Amino acid sequence: MIRPEEAPRPFTVTELANEIRRELRPLTAVLLKGEVTGIKRGATGHFNFTIQDGLSKLEAVLFADNARRVATLPEDGQVFLFRGKIDFFGKTGRLSFIVDQVEFDDVGKLRARLEELKRRLEAEGAFAPARKRRLPFIPKAVALVTSPTGAVIHDLQQTIWERFPNMAVVVYPVQVQGAAAPASISRALRRCNEEALADVVVIARGGGSFEEMFAFNNEVIARAILASRLPVVTALGHTSDRTVADMVADAECRTPTEAGSRVVPKKADLLIQLGERGRRLERERDRRLAREVERLQSRRERLLQVLPNLVRSRAERLARARADLARLSPAQQVARRSEALRERGRRLDAAAAARLARGRNVLASRRAEERLERALAARFGAATRAVDHRRQRLVALSPESVLSRGYSITQDAATGHVLRSAAETAAGRKLRIRLAAGRVGASVEKVEP
Amino acid sequence: MSQDLTYEQALEKLDEQLKLLEDGDLSLEDALKTVDEARVYLKICTERLEAAKRKIEVRPEE
Repeated sequence: MIRPEEAPRPFTVTELANEIRRELRPLTAVLLKGEVTGIKRGATGHFNFTIQDGLSKLEAVLFADNARRVATLPEDGQVFLFRGKIDFFGKTGRLSFIVDQVEFDDVGKLRARLEELKRRLEAEGAFAPARKRRLPFIPKAVALVTSPTGAVIHDLQQTIWERFPNMAVVVYPVQVQGAAAPASISRALRRCNEEALADVVVIARGGGSFEEMFAFNNEVIARAILASRLPVVTALGHTSDRTVADMVADAECRTPTEAGSRVVPKKADLLIQLGERGRRLERERDRRLAREVERLQSRRERLLQVLPNLVRSRAERLARARADLARLSPAQQVARRSEALRERGRRLDAAAAARLARGRNVLASRRAEERLERALAARFGAATRAVDHRRQRLVALSPESVLSRGYSITQDAATGHVLRSAAETAAGRKLRIRLAAGRVGASVEKVEP
Repeated sequence: MSQDLTYEQALEKLDEQLKLLEDGDLSLEDALKTVDEARVYLKICTERLEAAKRKIEVRPEE
């Protein structure tokens, strides 16, 4: 008989489960050390795993809310120090250790892992100064990847605006501590690059212990910084060690004030610098102009010295030219030539007149007419006498005068041939005989050669 | 062209022009041209200082 008469009413399962939970309540804020195995991340962000020490094991859960807050996430095979409470879940009938804090149990081991990460990054050249991006001298805007509340963001903004009052600031609120920090910061860095609202990024937080800063020793953050196109400046506060994030960043600062000074110049200084350049520029311009005025002045003086001589020689040349011009002008030439012609005309007239006068003088001196007549008479007398003499000779020699002296001319009547020999005719031929007075026709009777 | 210069580049140009002027080997014409150019660079520098607009924008996590 398991149920005596006076025994109380039996528990329902739920009642007993609740009783168990009540009994377990003192086991809150329990510190538990153990090795993690079989860790699984649920869709809602919870982590389920087992904590064991080789002899016993306990189921454990890290809810999403706590997972975002813890300094580090549990990993398989690692021993952690957990804080939490024991709870019993009636629905599953299981006892679980609800973790709200996780800490490394063996910091030495953790450091060793960190050194290993640094060695790997170093070997890749991730820390090399040559790889680091140059910060813009004057950014168009500064992106602040940090917690949206607290002194850090306030100090950053204040420093930036003190130095450069019209600087734009873009805030990317992130978790800067706990297990969720690396992913949160990496996402923000990617968005900075994608949105390109700013051209330099500051990752800032207010310092902390090695464990608190451990998110910045995470490879995820290191990779995100390395992948950033925009230069990244860290300002993670005063810590005992430089984090991996500091080492891969393009500039490493400690405080927000230092980072603010690093990303923006002091505008007032630049304005002073520009003002000084502006004054130098005006001074140089004035000096150059003054020198030119001086040079012009000295040239003017030299000109004034040489001017009288120049004017005199020019005036002389001008006068010569004017004379040449007058001499060579067409009107003058025509006038001069017509004068020459007139002169020649006059000379010609004079020559002709002189010639005539000379002719008249010659004629007058010779009494030409009388002498001419005398000469002609003499000439003609002689000629008449010569003609008479020739006429007398002609008469004496003419056939008629021979015939008058008793000679006759016998011609053949038919041919007119003058006969000089008896042989030139023959008996019977008719002859014509010319006598001094008249002619006789005859016939040949006999020839006697 | 010169409108694309950053503050630093424009300042460098400005300093080059100033040096040319201060060395004093330029003809008057070149000197005045250089002064004009230098003024352009000075203006660019000033513009770069005034280009940013003071504002704060918060981009919450999505």
